[in-house]
Amino acid sequence: MRANQLMRKGNFVFCIFLIAIAAYATFAATGWSFKTKLFPLAVSIPLLTLLLIQVLLMIGGKEQTNESAAMDIDFSIEVPPEVARRRVFGIFGWIVGFIMLVYLLGFPLTVPLFIFLYLKLQSNIRWLTTVAITVVTWGCFYLLFQSLVHIQFEAGAIQSWLGM
Amino acid sequence: MFDAFIEGLILVLQWKAFSLMLVGMALGFCVGLLPGIGGAATLALMIPFIFKMSPAEAFAFLLGMHSVAATTGDITSVLFGVPGEAISAATVVDGYPMAKKGEAGRALGAALMSSLLGALIGAVALALAVPIVRPLVLTFGSPELFMLSLIGISCITSLSGATTRGQIKGFAMGLFGLLISTIGQERQSGSLRFDLGMMYLWDGLDFVPVLVGIFAIPEIIDLAVRGTSIAGDRPPENLSSGVMEGVKDTFRHFWLVFRCSIIGVFVGIMPGAGGGVAQWMAYAHAVQSATDSKERGGFGKGDIRGVLGPGAANNSKEGGELIPTVAFGVPGSGAMAILLSGFLIMGIMPGPEMLTKHLSLTFSMVWTLAIANVITVILSLAILDQLAKLTYVRGGLIIPFILLLVFVGSYTANGQIADLIVTLIFGVLSYFMVLFGWPRPPFVLGFVLGKVIETYLFISMTRYGFSWLTHPIVVALMILMVVVIAYPYIQQRRQRAREPAHA
Repeated sequence: MRANQLMRKGNFVFCIFLIAIAAYATFAATGWSFKTKLFPLAVSIPLLTLLLIQVLLMIGGKEQTNESAAMDIDFSIEVPPEVARRRVFGIFGWIVGFIMLVYLLGFPLTVPLFIFLYLKLQSNIRWLTTVAITVVTWGCFYLLFQSLVHIQFEAGAIQSWLGM
Repeated sequence: MFDAFIEGLILVLQWKAFSLMLVGMALGFCVGLLPGIGGAATLALMIPFIFKMSPAEAFAFLLGMHSVAATTGDITSVLFGVPGEAISAATVVDGYPMAKKGEAGRALGAALMSSLLGALIGAVALALAVPIVRPLVLTFGSPELFMLSLIGISCITSLSGATTRGQIKGFAMGLFGLLISTIGQERQSGSLRFDLGMMYLWDGLDFVPVLVGIFAIPEIIDLAVRGTSIAGDRPPENLSSGVMEGVKDTFRHFWLVFRCSIIGVFVGIMPGAGGGVAQWMAYAHAVQSATDSKERGGFGKGDIRGVLGPGAANNSKEGGELIPTVAFGVPGSGAMAILLSGFLIMGIMPGPEMLTKHLSLTFSMVWTLAIANVITVILSLAILDQLAKLTYVRGGLIIPFILLLVFVGSYTANGQIADLIVTLIFGVLSYFMVLFGWPRPPFVLGFVLGKVIETYLFISMTRYGFSWLTHPIVVALMILMVVVIAYPYIQQRRQRAREPAHA
């Protein structure tokens, strides 16, 4: 029951967030030349209208039926909500951490470091297996992306600060 | 004509051309598996290697690579929910839920076999259409192409929930996708829109970081939340029989595969639309094949038809795209524009000569498309059992590798950290969309079609004012669009009328 209420509130906030974007787009576009604003306004005004109708329907308290469900995947519901929430924050933390590491160290150093840390700290894999997987992954990454495809990876911020 | 047809086959089967085609296929196989590194980018990378080749060898090499990338792009879509190519995104919607149900082998078998049939139908279309397609393409100016893009957008009705509220959410997401596509420099006047003062946004948002974020991040989160393997704790399917089941599914739904292939060919012929649109139109058509609301509700939850439709359209559009490229030198997509440069390097001018002087070369392209796909699918079917086993590897082991694929893939778009941030932002947005039941496919369709629609609208208005609205083909396409929008409602009504009768 409480989870349902939370979902409804969350859905409402998400809808308001979309309305804010559509309203900003409409407001920002009005100052542009005709050519520039024509298409964004032709899109943002109906978008705003539809979202407002949606909000009114939500306020009216009409429940969503199965038939109006999105044609999309469903998240798993087998895990208790508290555990699920903790795991969601956990994985978001890893993703943000990965991006931070790429920013600070660059891809070539982040790849082995991230794989090693994730396998050891999150997945609790044995030391030997972790090291072996890390080395193989780094080798594959180097061979494929750096030697074969020649992707130019930016140096990390730390290397730039150190003048490396 | 028949002699040229056979000569085309002989050109491809010569040992050097055939070997180069195999090399191209091996490259295409890897490229298809890696998210972000698109077939077009690899074509560009390989162009310098064709200087010393004969035309037949060069096209066997380039087309072998390009057509295979479209086929194998579906593999990561099914296994991990990460589109291997931007044109494989629609396969995620039903392919990945099938993997979660322990049916990865079946989904992969269906994706590959429908891809093969699609490619063969595309190749046949190329062979048949070259002489007759000229009037069609020349009749389609900007207003007609604009209307065609609108028909693509109108597929939102089929990609959204069946009720009015479902449709509101679907159309809102489609419009939101269109709005996001307007970020960056407006092409006609050069004015900047919604750039937030960031130079990164001047060129607009690239497809790869957005699509990878939209589809991969929620799947990774779900996998982390469940704490199991992708297939969960389900007993492993009999993988070999699963793959064969998928192959059989392709023939069980042969007419759906055929129709979706034709959609792919048609969209491929039209310049600018490309595979991004073809896959979603095919997916929408697959949804329309549902006979009742219960069946329709199964889409997005692992319906095999949701894998077959996009799989077929992705590959048949390759043949379709080649038609205007070969016949008039009008490339249907970025990849075809790069291929066109291959023609010029070989000293061949696309156009009427391709149907007379170089007819055997044109047919060698048809054969390359067909042979490369047949070989790839046969080889892939042999290793699918092993690939499908990846869905039984525990999540804790596989998540860091999926994250790596996702972020390296999105980084290749522009080579900037900002690409990773875009992936994260759209990943978070997509997570909430799934959580609160806002459909993602209409958003992607709007995002992919936005620039095309705006460009054709602008050219139509500049060239014809409002008079283009009265062009006969435009009017016919408008009627078709109304039919596409109304069809799900009519279908729903019929079902409701039928259900009490059955009850």
